[in-house]
Amino acid sequence: MMKVLALNGSFRKNGNTEILLKQALMGAESEGAQVEILRLTDYKIGPCRGCGLCLFRENVCQVKDDDVSFIFSKVDECDGLILGSPCYFLELTAVIKQLIDRCWILGHQISRNKKPATAIIPYATRGWIPYISVQSNLLLNLMGLTKINETAICTQGISEVVLDQEAMDLAYRIGKEIAVAILEKDLTYKGEKGVCPSCHDWLVRILKDRETIECPTCGVRGKLSMVGGKIRVKFEKKACADNRFRPEVLYNHYTYHIAPSKDYFLRTKEERKSKSKKYQEYLPG
Amino acid sequence: MAQYFVKLRYYPGDALQEINEGDLKSLAQKFGVQISYEKTENRQMKEGLLMENTLDKRIEDISQEVITVSGDREGKFSNCIRALYKKYRCPRTVYSLLGSNEAGEKVAKGLMDTYGGW
Repeated sequence: MMKVLALNGSFRKNGNTEILLKQALMGAESEGAQVEILRLTDYKIGPCRGCGLCLFRENVCQVKDDDVSFIFSKVDECDGLILGSPCYFLELTAVIKQLIDRCWILGHQISRNKKPATAIIPYATRGWIPYISVQSNLLLNLMGLTKINETAICTQGISEVVLDQEAMDLAYRIGKEIAVAILEKDLTYKGEKGVCPSCHDWLVRILKDRETIECPTCGVRGKLSMVGGKIRVKFEKKACADNRFRPEVLYNHYTYHIAPSKDYFLRTKEERKSKSKKYQEYLPG
Repeated sequence: MAQYFVKLRYYPGDALQEINEGDLKSLAQKFGVQISYEKTENRQMKEGLLMENTLDKRIEDISQEVITVSGDREGKFSNCIRALYKKYRCPRTVYSLLGSNEAGEKVAKGLMDTYGGW
């Protein structure tokens, strides 16, 4: 039986995020899915210690005293995933970022992008959510999932979202959509398409040459122009094929940008030790 | 040895377009600098991907394309580096200028934010 997992990035029990996730799971269930929800704040998710051992030595995270490997095992078991998080200040909650930082261990695995995922993000005030897609894309991509939709829902007080029937119907449809995507093995993007053809976000970053723009999430490059009084954002086809979450690109990143840094680290050992000594002695922790 | 000397190490996927030796010759002529090019390829096709074990290898020995630029006049040298970055984008890693001299590295690093992303 197909399994749909919901990850809840909200601390609040039965708050808007949880209600919307449960509504989506009901939709998935209506298509025959077995469902489960994890409230991330119920689990211990420690910070990445930056030790690098998962990359350089053992391919196993050295943080053993928390629940991240359990959460990742649940993600591994599921056939599709629904991510939920409130947006308090421009982006998703801290527990989502904490989990993103722990994804080092997953990022260099190459069997990826075979499962659909979606994101539901309740927020209170319009104009205060510019970075939500960056984080949802990051987490879902690093966990090896393909985002097929994302929905931001404007709602505010505790559990008020139940008053918004349109939002509730939408959440239900999103849950059904994930189940259908699993059944039909259809990973095409079904949400509103933004300017980036890879991640569908609306954000662009202007490079300091003032000629080039980049999708900050995917790293693909393009140009801006004005056509008929409208901003035209054009990303080259080749650039889109090189978005940073493609398995080949992630593989190259780990293989050529990270792994060889061991050699550099060892070569600079003596100089590092001598130059960093005064910082060890100053305000010792 | 030239006053400004830099090695730009591009690893697989770093350059935005294929590095072309003819283009490098033209840039060398245009800016009055010396440019050489060297390619190391150790990848092998496995599981549908070009793969390589780089973990315990020397930086100089892993697959890469190295563009070496040298010159004595800062302005011309700097303009050439700028043109290379514009064409290929700048190299990506902290060790991608390994083997450069101090003056060359300073110029090359100084231009990275503009053409390499930030």
